[in-house]
Amino acid sequence: MSAAATQPRRSRVIDDKSLSLEHHRSLWQDASRRFRKNWLAVAGLFIVGVFLVLAVVGPHIAPYDFLEQNIVNSFQGPSAAHFLGTDDLGRDVFSRMLHGARTAALVAFLSTTISLAIGILVGAWSGIHGGRTDELLMWISDLIQAMPGLLLVILINTTLRRPIINWFDTLYEQTKNPFYLNTLWLDYVLVFSALALIAWPGLARLVRGQVLSINEEDYVLAARALGGSQWHIMLRHVVPNALGPLVVAVTASMGGAVTMEAGLSFLGIGVQPPNASWGSILEEGRRYWQIFPHLILIPAVTIGVIQVAFVFLGDGLNDALDPRRNS
Amino acid sequence: MASFLFIRLMRWSVGLLLILFVTYAMMFYGAGDPIRMMFIQGEDFDSEDVVVMQALRKKYGLDEPFLVQFSNYLTNLAQGDWGRSIRLQVDRPVLEIVEFRLPISMQLGFAATVIGAVAGIALGIFAALFHNRWLDRLIVSTVLFINGIPTFVILPVLLLLLVLQLKLIDVPYGWNGLLHVDAVLPVSVISIGILPIVVRQTRSAMLEVKSQLYVRTARAKGVPESRIILRHMLRPVLTPVVTTLGLIMIGLINGSLFVEYILNIPGFGLLTIEGIKKVDYPIIMAVAVVGTLIIFVSNFMVDIVYPILDPRVRAQ
Repeated sequence: MSAAATQPRRSRVIDDKSLSLEHHRSLWQDASRRFRKNWLAVAGLFIVGVFLVLAVVGPHIAPYDFLEQNIVNSFQGPSAAHFLGTDDLGRDVFSRMLHGARTAALVAFLSTTISLAIGILVGAWSGIHGGRTDELLMWISDLIQAMPGLLLVILINTTLRRPIINWFDTLYEQTKNPFYLNTLWLDYVLVFSALALIAWPGLARLVRGQVLSINEEDYVLAARALGGSQWHIMLRHVVPNALGPLVVAVTASMGGAVTMEAGLSFLGIGVQPPNASWGSILEEGRRYWQIFPHLILIPAVTIGVIQVAFVFLGDGLNDALDPRRNS
Repeated sequence: MASFLFIRLMRWSVGLLLILFVTYAMMFYGAGDPIRMMFIQGEDFDSEDVVVMQALRKKYGLDEPFLVQFSNYLTNLAQGDWGRSIRLQVDRPVLEIVEFRLPISMQLGFAATVIGAVAGIALGIFAALFHNRWLDRLIVSTVLFINGIPTFVILPVLLLLLVLQLKLIDVPYGWNGLLHVDAVLPVSVISIGILPIVVRQTRSAMLEVKSQLYVRTARAKGVPESRIILRHMLRPVLTPVVTTLGLIMIGLINGSLFVEYILNIPGFGLLTIEGIKKVDYPIIMAVAVVGTLIIFVSNFMVDIVYPILDPRVRAQ
């Protein structure tokens, strides 16, 4: 497929050595070469990678439990015992930040996975079948996209919390299963489902557009003329070609989810205590910001750096994965 | 043209109704009984109050079935009765609260839009004029950088910097009018939020216009460069920028939510958060109504204004 898609017209570039047959590179090799040239994007990738690794191993390397209080040691500056100091309850800020990384990564990963699944299903269905259902689906996604995402997420998150907690309460009374009393993980579920609900329309639009435009390409026409089935065309032509833009969109969506989660928790609507989130750590630090500025500086700088890393990574991927861009 | 606008209007109105319906349903089935919450929060809660609770439900019309409540709400809304606040400012008409809160956010938003648009268009034009030179790279990467950092990070860090380190300003707190010094920080932070949208759109539109033949013609005729930019290039550049109005509005709403929360400005964003934290149905509905209306009206306005600005669209 890539041969047909990326091989340039002979007449123009016949003397270009890098494009001759011996030097043939695949779309992805090309992309990775372009990506590595963009040092901002590479730095972004590195930071995002570190963030994800810390999210996974974080609690194992954390020097303290993220909930361990020690009032005597409250408001300490950075020291050997407490790498990033302690907060108002004497909890180790570094351990809490590591736990927050896990929260952020978990919410970003799950919400992106769900919205990607919905987006691909809806988008592919719309793009292939068209018609009334397509119009309806696209109208709904237009509506969701037109709304301010933050407002929608807040609404969904707050309205769904109470009925689910009530439902769990009744389930507990019926079954006496202690599982229903522990609702800590419910915060995560609510936050990432709300985020997924607002994120899928963008991905669905993208997939639909890709399916429609790739279906128009000459090489798809050729494949069809040669007797290729719809399945063959989807798997061999549409999917590989749509993968680039999708990777870019997924990166952006993960970065957006990290911001949204932090923002919601900052407003006191997302992940609730005792769970730690960068947003809630920032909000807690804000109470003492004039006396102990490090308590807001640490989460603020962390969120900022991760966001900028995601943005530059997405930008670099966008430039690298566009085959029509001349390198 | 008229039929196009009519179809657009229908689409947006049906959308508005749908969103109101969904919000109302989420409130009705989700948010929990506000009257019960009112009593649980109060100290003298005992079971005898069931009668009082029932009376209160009746008073606020909360004892009717869902569809009746919803249609009542719509009829009242159309007649200017937005209901009364249940828990935030007990018994005060919601319309009154909105009338007090919304103008504050609108002033902030308007000032931020003006600053963001003027600065953004100027930066976008400069970036395009110096395409692929260091100024372009600087503007593009700065905008990309700013775009990444959320408002709730920028504002606290700016406070640390300006208040604690440089001691330039006092902590801005509350609302003392748009012309007060305290309004400088919120307005600039909100405008930072919309700047990237404008810069990006202006730059790409400008790059497209730059290579147009009529620009070359004007240059060949000896028209001064400043006149080419202002007379020949600016208008086709501004047209696509206008289409980002919907995005700008979303940026304003997101920005004012955090800025008002952090600086305790009694605007619409703070009302949203307060209403949601207190599970005040009529307030949350009003927030949903106004928020959706702002977005839909601005999108509809783009639909109307775009053909006026761009003759090519009109011709279709």
